Amino acid sequence: MKLNIEGLLVYFPYDYIYPEQYSYMLELKRTLDAKGHGVLEMPSGTGKTISLLSLILAYQKAYPLEITKLIYCSRTVPEIEKVVEELRKLIEFHCKETGEANNFLALALSSRKNLCIHPEILHANIVVYSYHYLLDPKIADLVSKELTKKAVVVFDEAHNIDNVCIDSMSVNITRRTLDRCTSNVETLQTTIQRIKETDAAKLKEEYRRLVEGLKEANVARVTDVYLGNPVLPAEVLQEAVPGSIRTAEHFVGFLKRFLEYLKSRLRVHHVVQESAPQFLKDIFQKVCIDRKPLRFCAERLRSLLRTLEISDLTDFSAITLISNFATLVSTYSQGFTIIIEPFEDRTPSIANPVLHFSCMDPSIAIKPVFERFQSVIITSGTLSPLDIYPKILDFRPVTVASFTMTLARTCLCPLIVGRGNDQVALSSKFETREDFAVIRNYGNLLLEMSGVVPDGIVAFFTSYMYMENIVASWYEQGILENIQRNKLIFIETPDAAETSMALEKYQEACENGRGAILLSVARGKVSEGIDFVHHFGRAVIMFGVPYVYTQSRILKARLEYLRDQFQIRENDFLTFDAMRHAAQCVGRVIRGKTDYGLMIFADKRYARADKRGKLPRWIQEHISDGSLNLTVDETVQMSKHFLRQMAQPFRQEDQLGLSLLTIEQLESEEMLKKISQMAHQA
Amino acid sequence: MDEEPERAKRWEGGYERTWEVLKEDEFGSLKATVEEILFQSKRKRALESHGQVRLGMMRHLYVVIDSSRTMEDMDLRPNRLKATLKLMEAFVEEYFDQNPISQVGLITTKNKRAEKLTELAGNPKKHLAALKKARDAACVGEPSLYNSLNLAMQTLKHMPGHTSREIVVIFSSLTTCDPANIYELIKTLKSLKIRVSVIGLSAEVRVCTVLTRETGGTYHVCLDESHFKELLMFHVKPPPANAQSECSLIRMGRCAHVCFSQTLKHSQTHLDSTSEVGLSLGGYFCPQCHAKHTELPVECKICGLTLVSAPHLARSFHHLFPLEAFRETPLEELPADRFCHACQGKLKDKIVFTCPFCSGVFCTECDLFIHDSLHCCPSCINSQHSN
Repeated sequence: MKLNIEGLLVYFPYDYIYPEQYSYMLELKRTLDAKGHGVLEMPSGTGKTISLLSLILAYQKAYPLEITKLIYCSRTVPEIEKVVEELRKLIEFHCKETGEANNFLALALSSRKNLCIHPEILHANIVVYSYHYLLDPKIADLVSKELTKKAVVVFDEAHNIDNVCIDSMSVNITRRTLDRCTSNVETLQTTIQRIKETDAAKLKEEYRRLVEGLKEANVARVTDVYLGNPVLPAEVLQEAVPGSIRTAEHFVGFLKRFLEYLKSRLRVHHVVQESAPQFLKDIFQKVCIDRKPLRFCAERLRSLLRTLEISDLTDFSAITLISNFATLVSTYSQGFTIIIEPFEDRTPSIANPVLHFSCMDPSIAIKPVFERFQSVIITSGTLSPLDIYPKILDFRPVTVASFTMTLARTCLCPLIVGRGNDQVALSSKFETREDFAVIRNYGNLLLEMSGVVPDGIVAFFTSYMYMENIVASWYEQGILENIQRNKLIFIETPDAAETSMALEKYQEACENGRGAILLSVARGKVSEGIDFVHHFGRAVIMFGVPYVYTQSRILKARLEYLRDQFQIRENDFLTFDAMRHAAQCVGRVIRGKTDYGLMIFADKRYARADKRGKLPRWIQEHISDGSLNLTVDETVQMSKHFLRQMAQPFRQEDQLGLSLLTIEQLESEEMLKKISQMAHQA
Repeated sequence: MDEEPERAKRWEGGYERTWEVLKEDEFGSLKATVEEILFQSKRKRALESHGQVRLGMMRHLYVVIDSSRTMEDMDLRPNRLKATLKLMEAFVEEYFDQNPISQVGLITTKNKRAEKLTELAGNPKKHLAALKKARDAACVGEPSLYNSLNLAMQTLKHMPGHTSREIVVIFSSLTTCDPANIYELIKTLKSLKIRVSVIGLSAEVRVCTVLTRETGGTYHVCLDESHFKELLMFHVKPPPANAQSECSLIRMGRCAHVCFSQTLKHSQTHLDSTSEVGLSLGGYFCPQCHAKHTELPVECKICGLTLVSAPHLARSFHHLFPLEAFRETPLEELPADRFCHACQGKLKDKIVFTCPFCSGVFCTECDLFIHDSLHCCPSCINSQHSN
């Protein structure tokens, strides 16, 4: 159908549209008009992707000078493929309706097997790829730096974007990394030696270029050709590479010294935590390495690798990592912390020293993106509370909106189970974690639910350790055996191959009527990327609140930083983080309007306003006051009732006019008024 | 015991939120909503008639009754099994009343096995006895959808092509324990044109959804006892015939009841029934071989002719020409004379029903009675007579 969105003609490749899609496009258009950034939350399964694509495509058509490119970032390869599929449908529809030949070029960077190196792809109108191509400085430099400024960047499924940013800037150094570095340096040395004998002019040429400095890059940045790289700070560009590392041999010597220093630092017996300036001071005192050459380290290494004509860069990943670390640690005095741990917390007897150079400020990695592109859209099914993302990513959005799902029938049923049948409070909090009564009641809940929920149930635990404990205890109490009379049990493990095997069998069991339960872990692979449509997930049970492991030093440092820099209290952030993961987990079951599912929060702490209030609006509005502190029995009865209701025939006609609109219905005065009030401004 | 269902105590039942079903109307009264619900449910069935389509009048139906562990659940009173069996009795009677030339058979499934309770037969007595007996059986283990469908299929596939082959599964469990891939079986059922319908007692199970969708049956999950009854009675009406099913003329013997006071004759049906051997005075004679039968409808034991009586044929006939649904009109539109043309009672409901041909006015109760049992408008017939 053809839509008119505030004067913009949008081709929408389906005959029906959800009201929230229309509203979403409205907000999106306003964001583009204002040339600003936006944060938009809309439940999964309501057609975010197609709304985004069709609006932005229409915008590009209508104002080709305003927006020249759409950069669509998604998380995983299957998601990218889904986007491409929608895009194909859209472009086909577009061609059919307008009668024009297709003049859009879309490009998806997913995997090596789909690789294309045709030069024309530089002019693609739409680029679809993974987050890392834009956020990770190592890859961004290769892939994304030539992207035009007049582009719209969309981060889909962006609820975890701060962690992606942090991960892309953080460096972990172990003994193995250092060993591989040493061998890298040796290879470098021999290669330099060989080249010196055969082609000394080449090294001289490089030397001359380094004296000239990185002016070229500077000119490029000033004239705004390239995307900024956080690993290449502005000061570096204006200066020449310092003399101490200008010749290749000197640089290799320098690297060796640096490596020796790092090795000595790893020989510790207790935990050390220090800031970047402290680290620099120490390195100067011990091995006389100045701040300045460190800062040039990454760029110098790149130049050397180019000169030596080394093609396979993956062999040199270790030394690249170290040089990036050197540059980062000498550039940013704030936002990073260095933690050296002699052993892992879980295995205090095994020496396994790690140097964490940990980024605490996600805005460092994403800053160039916000600065360069005129509109950046952050969107996901779960972004609540909406105000926290602009804070931690340090940007100013022009639109912040949350959309809810309009439903012809209430197809989701969130229930908070706070007590067992014996009135024991259910909670995964630390003090009651080992409590026998709580574990038994959790087991009882799963057992009872396995008897009333058809096909698939997905259960999430807060961590692998907690899951192991509970499952072992259930086994001893014979609960597991009883559950197996109702359904088969599958367990997610940290091993990816095992997990995908378990998933496959789980789906088979759901398909042929045997029924199955998947025990998995919040923050694991299952909780993030896998959808449980229809019968693959009729219920999700969330055992406990998935707080992160708070004893981690990295996390503590980050919390401290958040408090000092952004005035976000530790508890607020922890709760926010726990709730977004809980929302992700329970959101796995509802993947569309014809789908239905139970969402069971088994922890009494969910009933508190500070937790409940951080759930996405589309879940929150279905939690009634009566379902805040249920016992297991009550939950079972309500689930039974809900499942019976949902099993009644539900046809498309039932949705029409309410949650699904034809073009005529959409254009009615009354509906337009209703839609314009829909977006919930946070 | 049989007439008075054992009532479970309130505290033995599950947790209910009875107050949530009720909604107040604008005056704060509850009465309107409850009446509305009742009224709606009454109307629904009357409107669902198919109109003029080809129907499979000769039906061969197997009813599979789940007797697994889950049938002991007490959400239907007194428990699922007893409630089901009781409704089944009503169903069997109604079924033979409406489809006199059809047959029914019963299968139960428990403990991963399927077992035939009764073979396909056209006489309700046997089935009713079997159903009564089944009440005392224990509910154990898991059901097997595969085994029960397979068992039903073995018999149904030998039934002639012009008949409608159907299976209705009453499925209480959420799991099924199958010896082989059920999707293969579904394909076979589809190719044999066996229609499988499922009535779920707890929730929607995926495999049933696929099963019914593929074989062209219906899938419903009951909300409560009355809804369950409604769903079951839905299967009393013959379904529209498959487009591909064969058409053929069937030879039938129509016999009238003859009473003999002098010549006692063993009826053929009595000869092979072991339970009540006896002699009777009255009976029906096969027009072809003159064998005597005490009951109709039946297949003649001697010459294999299908024997029916005139009322049987007439009762089957009405399905082909269903009485059109009456028009709903608000009571206010009527002139002063507000009496029901059938029962002569005063019209009290807000909505009354008008026959589109003779404009006779009827109350809700009579409308239901006319459509469910009479199948013709009394007012129309009356006017024909007077003309």
